[in-house]
Amino acid sequence: MINVSHLTKKYHRFIANENLSFMINGGEIAVLAGPNGAGKSTAIKCIAGLLRFEGEIEICGYNNKSLEAKRLLGYIPEIPAPFELLTVWEHMEFIARAYNLEDWQDRAEELMRRMELLDKRDKLGRELSKGMQQKISICCALLIKPQAVLFDEPFVGLDPHAIKELKAMLFELKAQNVSVIISTHMLETVEEFWDKVFIMMNGRIEAERDRRSVEKTGENLEQLFFDITERSRSSSEPEKADNAAADDGESRRKKK
Amino acid sequence: MNAVFYMLRKTVKNEILDTLRHPLKLLIYGFMAVTMVYAVISGFFASDEWITDNRQDIRLLYGAYLVLLHVISVPIMQKGFSTGTSFFSMADVNNVFTAPISDKKILLYGIGRQLASMLFLAISFSAYGSIAVGIFDLTVQQSLMLVGGILLMLFAVQFITLFFYCICSGHPRRASVLKYFVYMIPVYSIFVVLAYVFSRGFTYENLLAAVSQPILDFTPIVGWMHGFVLGLLSGAWLQTAVYGGLLLISFSVSIVVFAKIKLDFYEDVLSQAESYFEFRDSIRTGRMSENVMLGSRKINVRKTGINRGHGAAAVFFKHLKEGSRRSRFMFFNINTVVLLSVSLLVGKIIQDLPMFEGATGEWLEMKPTIIYLAVTVICAYVQFFFSAAGDWVKELNKHYIFLIPDSAVKKLIMAGATSIIKPFVDGLIAFGALYIIAGGNMIDAVTSMISYGSFGCVYIAANILAQRIVGGSGNGGVFITFYMSFIVLLMIPGIILGVVSLANFGAAGFFSISATLMAVPVFLWNFIISLCIFLLCRNLLDNIA
Repeated sequence: MINVSHLTKKYHRFIANENLSFMINGGEIAVLAGPNGAGKSTAIKCIAGLLRFEGEIEICGYNNKSLEAKRLLGYIPEIPAPFELLTVWEHMEFIARAYNLEDWQDRAEELMRRMELLDKRDKLGRELSKGMQQKISICCALLIKPQAVLFDEPFVGLDPHAIKELKAMLFELKAQNVSVIISTHMLETVEEFWDKVFIMMNGRIEAERDRRSVEKTGENLEQLFFDITERSRSSSEPEKADNAAADDGESRRKKK
Repeated sequence: MNAVFYMLRKTVKNEILDTLRHPLKLLIYGFMAVTMVYAVISGFFASDEWITDNRQDIRLLYGAYLVLLHVISVPIMQKGFSTGTSFFSMADVNNVFTAPISDKKILLYGIGRQLASMLFLAISFSAYGSIAVGIFDLTVQQSLMLVGGILLMLFAVQFITLFFYCICSGHPRRASVLKYFVYMIPVYSIFVVLAYVFSRGFTYENLLAAVSQPILDFTPIVGWMHGFVLGLLSGAWLQTAVYGGLLLISFSVSIVVFAKIKLDFYEDVLSQAESYFEFRDSIRTGRMSENVMLGSRKINVRKTGINRGHGAAAVFFKHLKEGSRRSRFMFFNINTVVLLSVSLLVGKIIQDLPMFEGATGEWLEMKPTIIYLAVTVICAYVQFFFSAAGDWVKELNKHYIFLIPDSAVKKLIMAGATSIIKPFVDGLIAFGALYIIAGGNMIDAVTSMISYGSFGCVYIAANILAQRIVGGSGNGGVFITFYMSFIVLLMIPGIILGVVSLANFGAAGFFSISATLMAVPVFLWNFIISLCIFLLCRNLLDNIA
């Protein structure tokens, strides 16, 4: 379970996330959607415990900064950053050692097989393409058998086989009662399995829907997204909307 | 071309506005400007007494100028064989190269940009020029000639590089021949100087005579420029005309070749721009990556597996594995060789110097304890340049260290462990070798080695402190300023304690172990203050922000 309560993230005077509150239960897959610069990646990083913030975040009942929470959390960043001088297999071994995992080898091999990394086992991180690096990130995050997983734009750079496999993994995580948050622009890729969607604009959650309520109205995720973001954009002052559309969250932070 | 001018104009304007919006950046630029203005003023208006006290032989300037011309030109010329030009950014590659603008205009745009960046260099060199006015008794015009010569060299070398690129592109055999030819330029100069010194004896006077020989000006481009500027400086008009003419012919040939030849430099520039982009980004953020450090070096994976360590300790063993991939001998690398050379060279030079004995008024043989003291100070200074990109700093670029479920202080210590151990290994080798040649008391050698290693801890502590305070700013310049300030602040108390110890115990008759008297308080302080910083900044690895 991931419980976010009154999460606010400020960079000096700039508010990247404003008073976000939501809960993702075990076995639920939540999608964070929104235009560039809406604050999705910032929220994900706050939940992962990588940024300072105001408010409270719990992972399976533990404060997200606690060691207990770290043991249960998997995080796949937006930009993969493997260790340049470790081989693919050593990434797995490093994670297993850092998290004190036991009997991890079979699971590591299975994850690598599914991500078509087995033949790259002895390749160094620096020798891999961006897509391969993303696959390592996924394998590392899932190796620890997490109870909560945060995916930040996980499909970017993946080949069709890996996308298909990742989707299958997401179904499995759901079946294993794992809480999943996915931040993505590629709404069609999550159409099959999402349970909750949070549509973010200008650092706030503009709308929260569950699958059943959307299906009742006959809408799909994409329609819902455009309805809400267009409506929100036209109602907010033009300058603010322009800023949001122009920059992504990280570059906005740097500007401030 | 209008688009290119527009881009240049906007870039300059936005750079100025950006500086105005960042008070700290403005403050640093202001500080640099004040320092330079002070250097200029103090150089031009130095008192006669100061000038007389510090006056140096003009031949020293001739030698130093030749070295400087070699240093700034030979590496750039070497680059010309593989990459053609070094003055395009990734943004240029992506936007300008794909625009419907002729190749030659694009190349001229690159040269224009390069020239603009030289303006800053010109200002920096003018400060040094003013110092030369005082030390070498030059006129202001002569000082400006020296600065102008360097700028001309920087400009000229771009054309020569271009020339080399034009004639070598697609001709690897030709490129390798020319490459050796460029290498021969400094080799010739070194040979001429060494031959002179060895034939007449290794004295300061002979060294000065060696570096001011006219035959040093015979080498293409570098020597010609040296001869041209020195001709202007000394009013030797024939010399000026000959070397000026040779330079003019070289530039003209380069320009004609460039104008006639059909260039296809995009592919060569692309790989150069990519690696430069990564390098610049790592400088800007103050965070070096392995790719930047290793370049295109091929690494063979012999054995896969970290094999040891759990929790935070896994980070330490991972660093050992990475270290073994970087260098086969793990902690023994090029830094060790440099340090060993510095310690032996400095040790030997100091050993050969006579020591003045105040009590008897006699010149005696240098005491080993003084050698250890001097070598420790110089090696600690050299170590600073090796310490900036430790393993733990690279760890901050990735999210893994922040997510590992272990205590923050343990993670910090484990992440910094290899950077802490390395100076001790280097120190053991360097001071061990020094002990063989300098002899003396072994305690002096051991305490000096520990003291040298402890400076590594201070450098890491200062880095941690700077990361803690300004690490998130993403501005490499601000980071370096804070980092260096912290080093000075953290080291000063230890050095004061060392001096006090030396003064007190030395006076009590323990002068024969001066190095130990100084080293013990220094390394004790360095260890204590570093540990305090580690503990105080333990939350550094709690979050990326």
